[in-house]
Amino acid sequence: MDQTTLQVYAVLFVFATVLLVYTARYFQRRGRQRPLRRMAAVERIGEWTNQSIEANRPLHLALGSTAVGEDRTAVALAEAEFFHHIIERADASDVSPIITTSAASSVPLGQDTVWRAWEGDAYLSRVQWYPPDIAYAAAVTAALKTDDPAAHVLAGGFGPELALMLDSADRRGQGSLAVSDRLEGQAVAYAMADECLIGEELFAAAGYATDDGRAQADAIVLDVWRALLIMGMTIVLMLEVAKRMPWLNWAVVLSVSAVLAVFGLIIYRRR
Amino acid sequence: MGRGQRFGTALSAFVAFVIGIITALSLLLGDNPALFGNQPGSDQLAGLLAVPADVLLRLVVIVLALSIVIGIANLLYVHVGRLSRGKLTSAVVLVSFGFTIYWYVARQGDASLLEAVQVPIESALAALLALSLLHGGSRVLSKRADIWGLLFVAVAVVVLLASLPLAELAPVQAWRDWLMRVPVGAGARALLLGIALGTVVTGLRALLGQDRSVRG
Repeated sequence: MDQTTLQVYAVLFVFATVLLVYTARYFQRRGRQRPLRRMAAVERIGEWTNQSIEANRPLHLALGSTAVGEDRTAVALAEAEFFHHIIERADASDVSPIITTSAASSVPLGQDTVWRAWEGDAYLSRVQWYPPDIAYAAAVTAALKTDDPAAHVLAGGFGPELALMLDSADRRGQGSLAVSDRLEGQAVAYAMADECLIGEELFAAAGYATDDGRAQADAIVLDVWRALLIMGMTIVLMLEVAKRMPWLNWAVVLSVSAVLAVFGLIIYRRR
Repeated sequence: MGRGQRFGTALSAFVAFVIGIITALSLLLGDNPALFGNQPGSDQLAGLLAVPADVLLRLVVIVLALSIVIGIANLLYVHVGRLSRGKLTSAVVLVSFGFTIYWYVARQGDASLLEAVQVPIESALAALLALSLLHGGSRVLSKRADIWGLLFVAVAVVVLLASLPLAELAPVQAWRDWLMRVPVGAGARALLLGIALGTVVTGLRALLGQDRSVRG
């Protein structure tokens, strides 16, 4: 595929996303809300914020190595939005949440997030930077021993060092939610965290943590794109398979598709 | 929200929108003369369109290089605050910080202190990490007592067994290779696709000046 075609596809994709975002927001505003699919991990956050308020213990929110200004800027912005809603929920507590990061350029983003969402003061020292990777994990586990957080929400760029933080949280009986945009970190999160999000759920999580219609509409757009992507890949796969089966024709494909669609509809309705 | 604050928010969102659109258009349309039909002068036009993105991205690189100063200032601020509340471990951090800088300056760029202290400590922690991972892996089934937890443990066992240097385990090594090539490769791509979709939606929100961080 040449560069011009790629550019045209990129522009079309961006415009289609803009259209989807505004359509979803329009329906959300008009009250014709499509219910979000269930995300059990985010449901635990309410329990943890309540614990934080009742016990006057902070929540620990970690951005990891996700940096503003690099290719993962959008991940950092999505995390900041997610953390904003968590901090708003914990606002009745006397102790403000702590945000840690190993990317120096994310310190202002973290401070901005606490400043906007937290009504109290002393937000400058609530954002903490530590050197990256293993040193970050070691410093966070040591430094947070004295702060004794109620729970940890570790969402961002993490590698295997995530295991140290999750192990420490587990030993202290603190709840944990983890998600990473790196494969190694995601595997550790799945194995060791109390709750984990996967892949694009990191971007949709903000929509689940708030009643804000716009954030929920963005989460729905992600679901729509995902469904379209799966459908597209399935069709391509079927066409590839069809090439290797000379007896296959359109009538068979349509019949099988219709039967599958009916079964899918029945299963969906029963859920 | 006061009138001035509303104006500030609108201005900030407008600036973010304009800069975002200029950068996006510059990246999409710049440096590709074929887009303008390879006519005479299309080279210059494509080069000219690439300039705004080039300039803005250079600015970002400079700001990022300076951000380490923010990180160090934050580290010192946090630990001075903790020290004033009687946390003595923060004193260790501050003294180590000062001593390392003194050593580096006094010995004209000698990084032996870093190599003698930092590297062994990080290596020891990496070894500890292996134990933490093993411990975490052993508790997967207590956290996720379902088919997926079982599958996770089974795959981990196959991969661990396959890494043993035993000739009898050649079939397991073949399984491991298949696992890494097909399901793991597919899973990694699915994860990346999901993140790419999320990046587009979040990027658009920032580009349209609707992200909280650019609303002033």
